[in-house]
Amino acid sequence: MISWNNNALRDVLKEVDYAEEIYKCIQCGMCAGSCPLRHHMDYPPRKIFALLRTGNIDLVLNSKSIFLCTSCYSCIVRCPRGIHVMDIMHGLAHYAIKMGKISRKNTATFGQEFWKQIYKRGRVDEKDLSRRYFFSDGIVQGIKNALSMADMGIIMLLHGRMKLLPEKPIKGIKQLRIMLDKAEQESRR
Amino acid sequence: MEATNQNILVVGGGMSGVTAALEAAEAGYNVILVEKRPYLGGKVTQFYHYFPKLCPPNCGLEINFKRMKQNPRIRFFTMAEPVKISGKEGDYDVTIKISPRYVTEKCTCCGKCEEVCETEIDNPFDFGLSKIKAIYLPHEFAFPMRYVMDPSIVGTEEAKKCQQACPYGAIDLDMKEQVFDIKAGAIIWAAGWEPYEANKIEYYGFGEYKNLITNVMMERLAAPNGPTDGKILRPSDNKEVKKIAFVQCAGSRDENHLPYCSGVCCLASLKQALYVREKNPESEVTIFYIDIRALDRYEDFFTKVKQDEKINFIRSKIATITEEENTGDLIVEGEDTHKGEQIRMKFDMVVLATGLVPNTINIEAPDVPKDKFGFILRDDVVKGIYGAGCVRRPTDVATSVQDATAAAIKAIQSISRR
Repeated sequence: MISWNNNALRDVLKEVDYAEEIYKCIQCGMCAGSCPLRHHMDYPPRKIFALLRTGNIDLVLNSKSIFLCTSCYSCIVRCPRGIHVMDIMHGLAHYAIKMGKISRKNTATFGQEFWKQIYKRGRVDEKDLSRRYFFSDGIVQGIKNALSMADMGIIMLLHGRMKLLPEKPIKGIKQLRIMLDKAEQESRR
Repeated sequence: MEATNQNILVVGGGMSGVTAALEAAEAGYNVILVEKRPYLGGKVTQFYHYFPKLCPPNCGLEINFKRMKQNPRIRFFTMAEPVKISGKEGDYDVTIKISPRYVTEKCTCCGKCEEVCETEIDNPFDFGLSKIKAIYLPHEFAFPMRYVMDPSIVGTEEAKKCQQACPYGAIDLDMKEQVFDIKAGAIIWAAGWEPYEANKIEYYGFGEYKNLITNVMMERLAAPNGPTDGKILRPSDNKEVKKIAFVQCAGSRDENHLPYCSGVCCLASLKQALYVREKNPESEVTIFYIDIRALDRYEDFFTKVKQDEKINFIRSKIATITEEENTGDLIVEGEDTHKGEQIRMKFDMVVLATGLVPNTINIEAPDVPKDKFGFILRDDVVKGIYGAGCVRRPTDVATSVQDATAAAIKAIQSISRR
């Protein structure tokens, strides 16, 4: 549904870094044209910007596109107006989660589990992360997910990219947590 | 009262420079014109047709050259460029450098030297699309009508062979670079423009793919005196081009390249689309654009081109161009922003509509106000040196001519007001 909500736009501009740059967009289509995930997007970035500009915040926050970004930087490098497309997409994803709108649950789950691992150990335990990610949709789906990725798991084991024993926390994990806490405080200001 | 030198120096012998020189000379002032290339006429000599009338540039040039021959007040030097300007309004000292041509005024263009010469070089007149002998006439309508020897063969046996072949003794292999000073009261800088270097747009792959050319190269493909005798054949296999794409704003309106709009590339592509359609009625043209900027009276031209059903307009800034391995065809990808769809289309040849970069004052000279892109501003605070044509803003031929006339009156005012 198309709706105009000016206050909501004001909040987006306040909460999302670089969001004011949406007004520079000339709707050329370079962002999506350069994006490796363009065929999976419901709205290309330029449309996200146009929707924001016209106050259709709900459509944007419910869009899958904002959760798809893999941070490859192609759009930022090529945008003829120098818009921080990638940062805005990430910012919108964070804002959507904050507003309780999670259009791609698995992306959010993966991101949150990844972050928890980093906070806990200072490194990622591949098998712990994938277990939590795979089973986030229940046991049956979890087994299916795990089996579909079994080949890659074996290769990772053989190359020492994944270990059978649990990963140990890094040295100085407490200092790292102090830094992460501080960073989070700063980002909220 | 200080003495004011009554000479006007014009830098650049293209459409703007020639016009400025003629207008000033016909008003009774002495003009010295210097041109870097071996002939006058500049970029328009390389063009097939002008828009919107689709007439060839030669006739206009011929008229100007005739005016020039009849006017004793103009002295011009080809293969010449200024290397240093000093002084102030009314009293400039300019150092001019003339590169050796190795061919004197005795040349009758009989072509005997070219017959014996074997070395070939990239033809600068065709932007490297063809080869030319190392002693050559720049083009059929060259003014002055005289051969040039490429410095690469000077000092070789080949050069001596050419010299011996000349029945008129017109080849002087001992010719040296000359540097001399001239005095001028006012200077008109009309050094023109260069096309933006398309290989800087790395996601298009210009230079890598043979069938990816620029708009200036397209002019040569269409011109009857060009590398393909006016047939639009693609460079990889000389196949007649049936499906062709024009990619607008290739590097223009882009903060990573040229942030400004060059204003003429849209019209040039519309014109070139007509070249293709006229030469091959079965051809199909697709123009990818952000906005078609055909302003003012040029909108009629856009309307005319739009009526051709075989010319499609798709609103998209093309994101990637790749080459199909066996065929040499090019695959163009981007987003159709009207339909909101991702597109992937195949073409025989793709033309990049690159923008104009000004040949701004880049030598030791008094400070002249310029914008951040190097375009010379006409500022009434600084007098004595005036830009004309594309060094002031990217523009078409008609506007350059008007602008050059304006620059001529500015220069005349500058030397006559005291």
